[in-house]
Amino acid sequence: MQSFSDTIESLKIALQAIKANKARGLLTTLGIIIGIVAVVTTMTAANGLENSFKESISVLGSDVLYVSRTPWVHSGRWFEFRNRQNLTLKEADKLKIQLKKAVAVNPLTETRRSIKYRSRVIDDVSIVGTTDKHIVVSSGVPDYGRFLNHYDVEYKHFVCVIGSEVKKRLFETVDPINKKMKVGRYDFRVVGVMEQQGGAGMFGGPNFDMQIYIPITSFMKAFGGRDRDFDFVVKAPSTEALPDFEYELVGEMRKIRKLKPTDKDDFSINQMSTLVAAYNNVMGVVVMIGLLITGVSLFVGGIGVMNIMFVSVTERTREIGIRKAIGAKRRTILTQFLFESSVICLLGGLAGVILSFGVTALINSTVMPASISIPIVIVALAISVLVGVFSGIIPAYRASRLNPIEALRYE
Amino acid sequence: MAFEIDNIFKTYQMGGVEVPALRGVSLKVDKNEYIAIMGPSGSGKSTLMNIIGCLDIPTSGHYFLEGEDVSTLKDDQLAVIRNKRIGFVFQTFNLIPRSNIFHNVELPLIYSGLPASRRRKLAEEAIEKVGLSDRIKHKPNELSGGQRQRVAIARALVNNPSIILADEPTGNLDSATGEEIMGIFDQLHKAGNTIILVTHEHDIAEHAHRVVKLKDGLVESDEIVRNGRYAEALQDA
Repeated sequence: MQSFSDTIESLKIALQAIKANKARGLLTTLGIIIGIVAVVTTMTAANGLENSFKESISVLGSDVLYVSRTPWVHSGRWFEFRNRQNLTLKEADKLKIQLKKAVAVNPLTETRRSIKYRSRVIDDVSIVGTTDKHIVVSSGVPDYGRFLNHYDVEYKHFVCVIGSEVKKRLFETVDPINKKMKVGRYDFRVVGVMEQQGGAGMFGGPNFDMQIYIPITSFMKAFGGRDRDFDFVVKAPSTEALPDFEYELVGEMRKIRKLKPTDKDDFSINQMSTLVAAYNNVMGVVVMIGLLITGVSLFVGGIGVMNIMFVSVTERTREIGIRKAIGAKRRTILTQFLFESSVICLLGGLAGVILSFGVTALINSTVMPASISIPIVIVALAISVLVGVFSGIIPAYRASRLNPIEALRYE
Repeated sequence: MAFEIDNIFKTYQMGGVEVPALRGVSLKVDKNEYIAIMGPSGSGKSTLMNIIGCLDIPTSGHYFLEGEDVSTLKDDQLAVIRNKRIGFVFQTFNLIPRSNIFHNVELPLIYSGLPASRRRKLAEEAIEKVGLSDRIKHKPNELSGGQRQRVAIARALVNNPSIILADEPTGNLDSATGEEIMGIFDQLHKAGNTIILVTHEHDIAEHAHRVVKLKDGLVESDEIVRNGRYAEALQDA
């Protein structure tokens, strides 16, 4: 067992050696610094993306199932789904009656049209036909004005509720309530403005703030209802009940579709967790690639440190001889050099972490919200020490095995 | 008995050829002896010194240090023996250049795991014995050759070793400084230490009370020289 004073001595020697070769140490750690900046930035960016993603899909709700013709996530198996029947409003009504546990069943459909207010035009805006149940199944609520109500749907009113960004871009400072705007060729009266929901459609998903909601009945009147495909948004009693609820939903849908027990489902149930899983797959690959690149740069950095440690051992061969002659054991010499390489790498790691704060601030102010978390810092520093041990072990081992007689004779 | 060497052989392998360095050396040294080992280069005196200093082990034969057979020990066990029982003084001083005097002297105590307060006390005592208390914070390169050798002696002394092993301790010093250093060894001997001098200079060897001469890996002569110039002076004192 190595004594405590021995270890302290090893650490002191290591610090002394590094202090004596500052420029060399700095150049050596450059690889480590770059590697650590890469590690921290990759992990911080991944965290930031995940947060934005979660924020953007949280609108979907974790206690909500989507019945659609095709799954959200599929890998090029289009031919399997292309002959499926569209979901119809009739089916939605049947589902509403049969699935008693459902808190709400809300049919949805979407199209893209240009919108216009006075001389201002925005092209290709998502127009969503929905019902008054929309605010039950999703988390968005009107900021001011009101949402669509039962009568709007029943009597096919040409009214709309607009997303916060639509308001900002189309109406600027004008109060849009009760103003007429054009959706496609039709006039719609604005009755409400949704509060901002964020998410900015970063992942190709919908940007909820750029949507316009109109009654589903008015939608069909204006944009046609034949051959239109709907999504049913079905709210479960609770998140916990979701798996059982999904089972019942599938059962009812099969009844409505009159499927035989041997038939496959000709519809798909989607939910937020499907997206999360798909996202995790993609991010997993991205992070893997990031870490691979990082790994390579750390490896190269480590080789640099190893190289310097060999130089350091050779330079101090005589000193090693002296220390061995007066009683240093192999392990003492080993720790001395391991400490040296670890401290070099740890200092590099610290510098890397400090630089990463700068890089992250830059990302934060330009690309997306991102912040370095304490666990990331700890992981980064642990990695740098690990690289230090890895790159110091062979030179240190060689030093520890030096024959004291030959080492003392070394000029 | 400080140590006993019994029929030691040491053979080196050099490019497949066996080169004998020691060919059956035996030696008994009592406590508080003051011995000089002499011999021309190639006589095997360096090899013998390395074995006595536990830096190397013999190919065959036994080496008993204070009754313990140390001729078959492993690297780390030898390191412990060197640390506790051997004090080295080298021709080239061999101090750690980046460390100050105090730290150089303290180093063997660190390796033997003593607590800091005890180390401080022992190191300061050893430095005082060689008269360098006022230079305790200096680095080796701020000292003269003679002063450096004194530091080395203090380092050799600090663990209170069984043997002080000095390899040409005056080889890098002018003769006046050399005499000064030898004076310190004389003092140490008088204080009860066992001293082995390895040298090829006769006037250095004359400080010893016994001279062992090696030739071609064998002991050529082993004489008591109690009537040496300095020995006489010491006896009078």
